Amino acid sequence: MGYRKLLTKKMEFSASHRYWNPEWSEEKNREIFGKSAGPYGHGHNYCLELTVEGEVDPETGMIINLDDLKTIMKEVLRDFDHKHLNEDNARFQELVPTTENIARVLWEIFEDRLSGSEKYRLYRVRLHETRDMYVDYWRDEK
Amino acid sequence: MSEVVTFTKSYRFSAGHRLYIKGLSDEENFRIFDSCSNPAGHGHDYYLEVKVTGGINPVTGRVISREELDGAVTPVIEELDYKRLDIEVPYFRDRQPTGEHITEYIWNRLEPRISCKLVHLRLCETESSYFEYFQEEECPYER
Repeated sequence: MGYRKLLTKKMEFSASHRYWNPEWSEEKNREIFGKSAGPYGHGHNYCLELTVEGEVDPETGMIINLDDLKTIMKEVLRDFDHKHLNEDNARFQELVPTTENIARVLWEIFEDRLSGSEKYRLYRVRLHETRDMYVDYWRDEK
Repeated sequence: MSEVVTFTKSYRFSAGHRLYIKGLSDEENFRIFDSCSNPAGHGHDYYLEVKVTGGINPVTGRVISREELDGAVTPVIEELDYKRLDIEVPYFRDRQPTGEHITEYIWNRLEPRISCKLVHLRLCETESSYFEYFQEEECPYER
């Protein structure tokens, strides 16, 4: 039986968003999304936990170099940190920036950014929106 | 490729309990349950994590509405909050009010109240101990 080796790095970003479906009336948006439908948006301090699965390189002792991972995460999160996701991030022009959808978008971006190596792969995206709420997202090769 | 999305929200409640077996002396109970059998009881601030899964609704972008989950969990934990479990909650009159039984109690009451699939409960009794409850041998939604 093999052992699973995982590495997780956390990074925070702050962003505002608004839950709003343009095809619904103001009343319907308020009914479904509550105070998250406020016209100017509101913000959170998100905490992203990125988990990478892989083999431990016998020379470096690492699955992935944490500095490299940090650099990639910083680059990717530049489009999220201190942004209004509905307004400033192209991925959310037609997609409600819920925690679920942000996690899915982050999975797609990081899966692509980490696809260059045979030795490791993205294992899980965990996105905390507040201290008491988070979403996990992953894809299985089924 | 299939995607897995889980949504987890945490809740708090405080409750008192005493672990003891009726018919045994205080000394015998102390030998089994240690300080947890203190005759006058003791309490904890419990921290409960509720994990559900489902597809992301393409219109709302959510697995479940926060209000729905809060609406389902709140009445369940209100029956425990600020209660002495083994005295005031009938379920625990003939079961030990341990973390194992509390998670089972919460699961059974919560599961029929929510529209998507409840997959995992974690109940932290203290900073250093927690209990988990789920259906399969390995929870496919815990990663």
